[in-house]
Amino acid sequence: MLDISHLTKRYGKFLAVNDLNLHIDKGEIFGFVGPNGAGKTTTMKIVCGLLDATAGSVTVDGVDALKCSKDIKRKVGYVPDFFGVYDNLKTMEYMEFFGSMYGMGKEEVDAVADGLLELVNLSDKKDVFVDTLSRGMKQRLCVARALIHNPDLLVLDEPNSGLDPRARFEMKEVLKNLGSMGKTIIISSHILPELSEMCTSIGIMDRGHLVTAGHVDEIMNKSDGASKIHIQIVGMEDKDDIRTFMAEQPNVTKVNFTEDEVLVSFNGDEMAVANLLKNIIGRGIAVSGFYKEKENLESLFLEITGGNN
Amino acid sequence: MKNKIRINPILKKEMVVGSRSMKMSWAIMAVSAILTAIVVFTLLVSQLNVASGATYDYSTLIVLFPVLGIAECIMLSLMVPVITSGSISGEREKQTLDIMLTTPISPFSIVLGKLMSAMMIVMMYMIASVPVMAITFVLGGLSWWNLIGLFIILIYLGIYVGSVGIFCSSVVKKSIAATILTIVIGLAIIIGTSLIYSVSITIMSMYYMTSGNMRPDSLLGPVVVFMFNPYSPIFDFMVRALSDSSIYDMVSSANINPVMGFLYRFWIPISMGINLLISFGFLKLAAARVGNVKTKKAGKVNNKAGNKAVQNTATTNNTVTENTDNQNN
Repeated sequence: MLDISHLTKRYGKFLAVNDLNLHIDKGEIFGFVGPNGAGKTTTMKIVCGLLDATAGSVTVDGVDALKCSKDIKRKVGYVPDFFGVYDNLKTMEYMEFFGSMYGMGKEEVDAVADGLLELVNLSDKKDVFVDTLSRGMKQRLCVARALIHNPDLLVLDEPNSGLDPRARFEMKEVLKNLGSMGKTIIISSHILPELSEMCTSIGIMDRGHLVTAGHVDEIMNKSDGASKIHIQIVGMEDKDDIRTFMAEQPNVTKVNFTEDEVLVSFNGDEMAVANLLKNIIGRGIAVSGFYKEKENLESLFLEITGGNN
Repeated sequence: MKNKIRINPILKKEMVVGSRSMKMSWAIMAVSAILTAIVVFTLLVSQLNVASGATYDYSTLIVLFPVLGIAECIMLSLMVPVITSGSISGEREKQTLDIMLTTPISPFSIVLGKLMSAMMIVMMYMIASVPVMAITFVLGGLSWWNLIGLFIILIYLGIYVGSVGIFCSSVVKKSIAATILTIVIGLAIIIGTSLIYSVSITIMSMYYMTSGNMRPDSLLGPVVVFMFNPYSPIFDFMVRALSDSSIYDMVSSANINPVMGFLYRFWIPISMGINLLISFGFLKLAAARVGNVKTKKAGKVNNKAGNKAVQNTATTNNTVTENTDNQNN
């Protein structure tokens, strides 16, 4: 669906995107992660035909985004990270306005817009003035607006930015629905747990480079491998004894104590985890809780980007 | 297959939005009130000057035509910049221009739609002024062709000032600054070309009086410059309407060459043509400015929330690390 090859974008001396290569298949929900200034928005705007590239190529479903910007705008729907409203324009009129920009007649827009407003849970707000909608509703309307011409690819630049938790949840549901309908979606966000829940694949960008990209599970496996095991013990009086015992166990790299649990950095597979638990119990330590912390996108993001923002 | 005429989407939207705004109604009311005040004031002064028992000659009210015509032109020259100067900068301020540019509509169509919507307002304002203007025709004895001519002149002036306004709006970020810039550019063109023309004529006349010798084409340059004055066809139109003569008749007795004679004779269409071409140039420049976003730096408009989220994430992770490290130590 989307092929980016050796994409480079330079603003004077500043290199915003550096030799980016990326392939996204049809029906994928691709999450773009990276600190501010990493080049995500620039890349997205180039894909939408809003920005020229310095070098490289971008094709969406075989259409060259750099040479045929008018054609690409019919293939791509873009939701920016802001929402501009027109005073005195109603929700349906807003949809009709953008539909007419794509050469659609009123009847055609009305037929499509009804379904789209239902998809984004705004069917009861058709005759409401857009500037009276809440921020979350406006953002969902923006998604509906971007879908008015039935694009092959939907590009969302931080759609959850500035939304409250409920609005974020609703937006997530809308995007999940779109994903289940087979739409190809590129989404950038700072709210990483939501991305990892929603996306089928992710790419991490830093200072113009695509550091890593692939299926969510593959990306998670690219971390340093040391997972954390939380162990709650009844009666942790002799911490030194427990620390010595834990440190002697195979695959344990580090032992830390928090207020009520032992935190073990562990470098082994599932069987090794089971053996560790067996050994602890075998030693007669009263274990009241034992769980392996799942590697998440936040820690991976910080690990890769060095915690810089 | 049905072939429907597609109205420019920007024009359609602006009409919907504009019709719900009170600004347009207030502007039309203000213009009509000013024109009415001029007529009432002129009628009162004229009647006070008539000696008791004498017959009042209503045909003298023909003088209202240039007064009202010029008043309309001046008001239009001030009102159109206010309408158009926010057309592009306002879209930028509302952050809707980028969204529009993600659609297949061309920057020139955006600019043209903005001009057309401004012209619709100008036409409403013209229609609203018809009853007041009609007084000069009924009482002053002018023909209806003069009224139609005045409307054509007003539409031409609206296009010219509107194009400058849209261009300024595409150059300047703030609407208020764009309004001021439009008026400054308009005044610079009007005053500049008038000064060049009048100073040249004065110098040449003085030279002619002292030497008694003047080359027939010596004024061609200043005449051509004056044609770039958007108000010059209005001046010629008023002269023609009031006196059945023209600028050509006023200067034909002087020693002018055939080229200048042609320019003077067809002053209105030539000058209007030149200035409409300039308007087109301004619109093209505005469209180029609108479409120029492709080379501008992509950036975040509002990232506070996003930054906060990552900062929170980083803080949470760092806190865990710090706690565990403290325990470890």
